[in-house]
Amino acid sequence: MLPKKARREEVFEQLESAGGLQPGNVGKVHRETGVPAADIFGVATFYSLLAEPDAGVRVCTGLTCKLAGADRLLADLETEGTPATSYSCLGRCDMAPASWDPEGDPATTEPAFSPSHPDFAIDLLAAETDTYSALRLVHDKGAEWALDEVEASGLTGRGGAGFPAHIKWRAVRGQEVTERYIVLNADEGEPGTFKDREVILRRPHLVIEGLAIAARCLEAQDIYAYVRGEFGQVKASLMAALDEARARGELDDDVRWHFVDGHGAYICGEETALLEALEGKRGMPRMKPPYPVEVGFRGKPTLIQNVESIACIPAILERGGEWFKQAGRTEPGSKLYCLSGHVERPGVYEAPMGITLRELLEQAGGVTGTIKAFSPGGASSGFLPADQIDLPMDFKSLREAGSMLGSAGVVVLNDTTDMVEAALTQAVFFEDESCGQCSPCRIGTQIVRQALERYRGGDGDALAFIREVAWGMREASICGLGQAASLPLTSAMKYFPQEFGDDNE
Amino acid sequence: MSDAKFVVIDGNELSFEPGETILEAARRAEIEIPTLCYDDRLTPAGACRICLVEVDGAPLMQPACATRATAEMVVRTNTQRVDRNRKFILSLHLADTIQDREIAEDNNPSRVHELAETYGTAGEWTSVVSPRQGRPQDTNRFIEFRADRCIACSLCTRYCNEVEAVSAITLAYRGAHTTIATADDQSLTDTTCELCGGCVDVCPTGAMTEKQALEWGKPERELEKVRSTCNFCGVGCQVDLNVDREANRVVKVTSPPPGTTVNDGNLCVKGRFANDFIHHPDRLTEPLVRDNGELRPATWDEALDRVATGLAGVKERHGNDALAFISSSRCTKEENYLMQKLARAAFQTHNVHQCAAT
Ligand SMILES: Cc1cc2nc3c(=O)[nH]c(=O)nc-3n(C[C@H](O)[C@H](O)[C@H](O)COP(=O)(O)O)c2cc1C
Ligand code: SF4
Ligand code: SF4
Ligand code: SF4
Ligand code: FES
Repeated sequence: MLPKKARREEVFEQLESAGGLQPGNVGKVHRETGVPAADIFGVATFYSLLAEPDAGVRVCTGLTCKLAGADRLLADLETEGTPATSYSCLGRCDMAPASWDPEGDPATTEPAFSPSHPDFAIDLLAAETDTYSALRLVHDKGAEWALDEVEASGLTGRGGAGFPAHIKWRAVRGQEVTERYIVLNADEGEPGTFKDREVILRRPHLVIEGLAIAARCLEAQDIYAYVRGEFGQVKASLMAALDEARARGELDDDVRWHFVDGHGAYICGEETALLEALEGKRGMPRMKPPYPVEVGFRGKPTLIQNVESIACIPAILERGGEWFKQAGRTEPGSKLYCLSGHVERPGVYEAPMGITLRELLEQAGGVTGTIKAFSPGGASSGFLPADQIDLPMDFKSLREAGSMLGSAGVVVLNDTTDMVEAALTQAVFFEDESCGQCSPCRIGTQIVRQALERYRGGDGDALAFIREVAWGMREASICGLGQAASLPLTSAMKYFPQEFGDDNE
Repeated sequence: MSDAKFVVIDGNELSFEPGETILEAARRAEIEIPTLCYDDRLTPAGACRICLVEVDGAPLMQPACATRATAEMVVRTNTQRVDRNRKFILSLHLADTIQDREIAEDNNPSRVHELAETYGTAGEWTSVVSPRQGRPQDTNRFIEFRADRCIACSLCTRYCNEVEAVSAITLAYRGAHTTIATADDQSLTDTTCELCGGCVDVCPTGAMTEKQALEWGKPERELEKVRSTCNFCGVGCQVDLNVDREANRVVKVTSPPPGTTVNDGNLCVKGRFANDFIHHPDRLTEPLVRDNGELRPATWDEALDRVATGLAGVKERHGNDALAFISSSRCTKEENYLMQKLARAAFQTHNVHQCAAT
């Protein structure tokens, strides 16, 4: 018999334990949860890890991994008879070419190269002190004090949008509705980005403490951590830290913690798509307004914050908002920059906000070869030419340069890189990862990829109408994915016209 | 914010009810905003993006179908940017589906082509040939889903979910592969589907289409719509019989537009699809009377006289209550009313029933 009230939030767990989309499973989960069978099928086909449970080893064919020979790796696996498929960026760009076997041992992450920086908020190499002293300060001094410090710190969202944290905190706190949620966005999927993974693996207590502080300040009863499904032991690291902190009595007992796996969809990093996923649905972004601070998880006020943003909170409260602000150069705070591609020592580098790529490259041992171009903030930021290497890497400067800081997944390309190929790699990513809800993105990403393929195949006119398509994708898409998806192509055309034929300049 | 409850659309100050969208306010004032994924019976999806308008203060254009009007909001629908977006969206959908209007409208009208005629396009772009999957193995007799025409507007799934409360179909897969599916791609008849055909009715492209009309092979625009009342039950749903005049044949049944008749655009499986009987060879098409056990054609006058004489005879010989009147569930409410009137007024008996009244 079907349960009286459909239990939609259980759909993922049930589908996963049944082994994903396989004959009979949709009906089984339908009978367990009472959710219409068609809806379950809609969910199961949306998420790569559920839709193709038997796809074998996932070989990352993101830009960095392609540069490092992902295609060869894929071919080798096929020759040796190992089932394998190409896959969107796995968030292991520091280990390119990356692959991941869901059936295998939890992938052991080789430590990314990340210099220690005691002067900065996160300091990946610091010994975990896990004192939870910032949380105790909130107990002593109160939520308003904490909010003032967060405001003084000038902390902006590290997930990509750069929105001031204190505005969201105050907005949730100011809601009349008392059922409130804190959601940790650990779905890190922007190609070239792997900082959140490192933060959780190395400083999980900072994340737990930051979340506990947010819950206390915003009077939320539940904390949800949504962790990228491909990240293996990352969720375990976070859960272990929670257990430790609990065992030592560091945390408030009245807060409930929940850990939820992603199931293979980049778009679920977008905050409202993430909420849909938490609710057991297809990860299609919601229209905004209303914003999650008002109508979020289960329709209730919700604070969604990126891992790095949350991990900055303890230092902000302990050392003071003003200290954090001063740690930045052109904009407040220290910042984690992920360096990959043609660099000598790929890794996560913590630096003052606004550092230039030239300085970062010095820390990273320089470029492998001669730099030609770079993506400052993941695939969504498009490409900038080498001569922008002295641009401050902050939200404002990069926006003004027609790019963006985004998640600070910096991918460096040397002069052996074919920009048509590079743009095509990004186009494939966006086409694969579009949720398909709105037509500019669903169709536009196909047009961009196909036009690039035709151009590469020798059709000189293939890009003729691409400018209009790019305009519409930017103007009319519902969310940031579609709005940014044409940028790799248009920026490559702008800065490397000779590779796209003079007509298309 | 002042107390004023008006929104300015293209310079017109329009009042609005709380909760109303820009589109609703505009439509009342007869300001045209094109839509593809909107139906006022359903939650807006904001998916097709053709209804985008400029709202002062918002950096990006906003979907009129899903954006609430707020006091003193200034909306522009007649700018170059809005027009450019409409043309963009239409070129996009044409590239993604069927560019040739003749082919696109082989059965149902195509709203995309209609709008392209009104608003123009940004040019004809290379066709995308998207990887959307259909359901060719679906053996139901009435509804065909043609994925190559689908614009993934989700009108059909929202209708199925929100109006029919059936949820037999869903958006499935993602990105370019986004399509409409049943659970495990089963035939509709193996799902909860009630074959109401509402998904066909709301579909703006003919992707969801009537199998039998498709086989008949004449586009809807060449059929004549004859308004009638469904005679399967007493509700009185209005139907449009789509008649091929040349062949003198009802090819399919559609529902009048939502908001115009009692059934508000809806029909059930019987009204929409159970119409084979109209042209069935066994169907009675004239009155027959029996002479010596043999049926022969007669005029209505003769046939009705025969009925009246028979009924009056029974009444005279055995009394009023020897008679009982049973009307068919296929009679309209009005016909049922007349039947009980006949029983009670002409024959003074309460022995009257209707076969669907139990
Ligand atoms: C397509 C897309 C993908 C995104 N992916 C991520 C992600 O993987 N992780 C993340 O923290 N934010 C991501 N975001 C940003 C979130 O929507 C949101 O702004 C963020 O989680 C808010 O937290 P913050 O203010 O701390 O940055 C993405 C946004 C878009 C449009
Ligand atoms: S822009 Fe792309 S990813 Fe975002 S809602 Fe539209 S289709 Fe989905
Ligand atoms: S016919 Fe009716 S019940 Fe069946 S799928 Fe279409 S809308 Fe749903
Ligand atoms: S079948 Fe028709 S109504 Fe359904 S999504 Fe496709 S175009 Fe829209
Ligand atoms: S009608 Fe508004 S987005 Fe489709």
